[in-house]
Amino acid sequence: MRYFAKLQGQKEAVPVDIEPAGENRFKLTHNGKTFIVDALTLDHGAVSMLVDGTSYGVEFDEQGDEVHVLVRGQVTRIDVADERRLRLRAGTTGFSAQGKQVIAAPMPGKVVKVLVKLGDEVKEGQGLVVVEAMKMENELKSPKAGKVVELPAKEGTAVEINAKLVVVE
Amino acid sequence: MAKIRKILVANRGEIAVRVMRTCKELGIATVAVYSEADRSALHVRTADQAFLVGPPPSRESYLVQERILEAARKAGADAIHPGYGFLSENASFVRACEKAGITFIGPPASAMDAMGEKTRARQNMIKAGVPVVPGTAEPIATVEEARAYAEKIGVPVMLKAAGGGGGKGMRKVERLEDFESAWRAAKSEAMNAFGNDAVYIEKYLEKPHHVEIQVFADQYGNTIHLNERECSAQRRHQKVVEETPSPILTAEMRAKMGEVAVKAAKAVGYVGAGTVEFLVDVHRNFYFLEMNTRLQVEHPVTEWVTGLDLVAWQIKVAEGEKLPYTEAPTPNGHSIEVRIYAEDPARNFMPSPGRISYLRVPGGPYLRDDSGVFPGYTVPNFYDPMISKLSVWAPTRREAIERARRALGEYVVKGITTNVRYLKGILSHPEFIAGDYDTSFLTREHETLQGKEDPQLTEAALLASVVYAYQRDQKRAKTLTQTPSGGGKGGISAWRLSSRRR
Repeated sequence: MRYFAKLQGQKEAVPVDIEPAGENRFKLTHNGKTFIVDALTLDHGAVSMLVDGTSYGVEFDEQGDEVHVLVRGQVTRIDVADERRLRLRAGTTGFSAQGKQVIAAPMPGKVVKVLVKLGDEVKEGQGLVVVEAMKMENELKSPKAGKVVELPAKEGTAVEINAKLVVVE
Repeated sequence: MAKIRKILVANRGEIAVRVMRTCKELGIATVAVYSEADRSALHVRTADQAFLVGPPPSRESYLVQERILEAARKAGADAIHPGYGFLSENASFVRACEKAGITFIGPPASAMDAMGEKTRARQNMIKAGVPVVPGTAEPIATVEEARAYAEKIGVPVMLKAAGGGGGKGMRKVERLEDFESAWRAAKSEAMNAFGNDAVYIEKYLEKPHHVEIQVFADQYGNTIHLNERECSAQRRHQKVVEETPSPILTAEMRAKMGEVAVKAAKAVGYVGAGTVEFLVDVHRNFYFLEMNTRLQVEHPVTEWVTGLDLVAWQIKVAEGEKLPYTEAPTPNGHSIEVRIYAEDPARNFMPSPGRISYLRVPGGPYLRDDSGVFPGYTVPNFYDPMISKLSVWAPTRREAIERARRALGEYVVKGITTNVRYLKGILSHPEFIAGDYDTSFLTREHETLQGKEDPQLTEAALLASVVYAYQRDQKRAKTLTQTPSGGGKGGISAWRLSSRRR
């Protein structure tokens, strides 16, 4: 079975083929290499993975579309889906920062400053809006160069998590 | 004085739990106060009694003196421990406790008055012959005067809140053009944190080390110090890693700074646990910065190298006992503490409140975790995002660093983002390991501290994620085919799959 895994920061997903190969065993093919993996799933999103004698304790934390994978102190954010799920997601901004980008409140808080106006041209990385939470201020930046096409954010208003603040296209 | 029988802890989170633990060990009953956001908090369950004190914002709950005192009265508490932050350095609260006949576990109001307002503290220290960082004698009223002063002593300068410490209401100004916005920001943050927007100015010392001395005094004037803590690993003036002994202090410096700290404490008639903070410059001159008239967050490292329970001492001093020591104990071994925050270092340390879905705390020798969280707990976004302090002890500094790194490797927190990997990055950085890191270290080395990606681990993560997704999807498909209305047909189960994912 084929899965597509996109690492955070990369534009393209890589295909990985997986076939069961016995109890807790899987044959995985990635990048032309084949691995026989002994993977025992434990409670709470943990897996004990043995690859050629090397032992990995892996912890998974699902966060929205991504799964945060913790291995030996390193966290890798991976968006992994099979072909069917990919087809379902085509049309929403799953994999690339093309089209409309919605900048939403990453946490509940208060909008303290709106740095742009409707219709402004913005650069990638340009500050759009400042949200305050937990006594600290955070400036949300534009993920791409484009134009501010929607600006629901209002200074002084409280926002819920995922509240739409700015749309850049 | 009578023994204390019941203590109300006027605080929340890890410090409330920490204080209550000592109370239990001493056979003292405990009372918790909580805001509406903290009903599920650990400190509520840890206490014997608990009272609601208001809506989530601190200004409407933990900072409301009348409600705290009312809870103490209702519970029959004979003492209040204020923890750190909140009302711990509030002289009017100390007086209110006195009036209510409740023992405040901390210094007298007069000592807080002398040290709590930071410019008055500086004046008192100058009078006592203690070296201070050059700066203004009083808070400055207008931004014009402030800017003129900054121009006179020369940038860089530090804008600081007069009403409290802990790094709140502080801004460094490197260019005069940035002065006005920094002034505004400092004032607003100070207002939020202390209800007082007075700001003063100090000269910014180059490459300073922040080294503080723990002092302790009883009600009979006996005052000693318990050595130092090195706290230069700071970001936005918030401490991130603390250690003792300080790698840059010689025995001679320790003795001199300790002597000055004791002098400072005695000059204001101090009682209880306090900390005198110093800046040590590149020439190893030290200057009084401020005195914190409370127990500090990082007190565990002092407890590790002295074998003492500082909260127990605070209680005993409040009960009228004499200090058991007449001079500073020689520190034994080395201790390091790291502060675990619910934040994302890779996204400019954006706070990450949310529900902790899973928590595994490290174990093993000479390790301590002071936390107020538990699996299933939702970290609220109204308070400080620190969720725990992890501290270790070892015979040498090098071993303590290895131990802390090992322990961080065992720490697993899911559901929110934490700075655990960033902390490990700090402890692995050559500048930290070499021991001479100043307060610019974390900001300067920010990129390096994010850590480098190990491609082998990335590949392992990739393979693991596919195994994980595969097993998860297999499990879901099995569940679906078992339900009576679910179809094996692609269309219906695909919708089910997508709606479950949301």
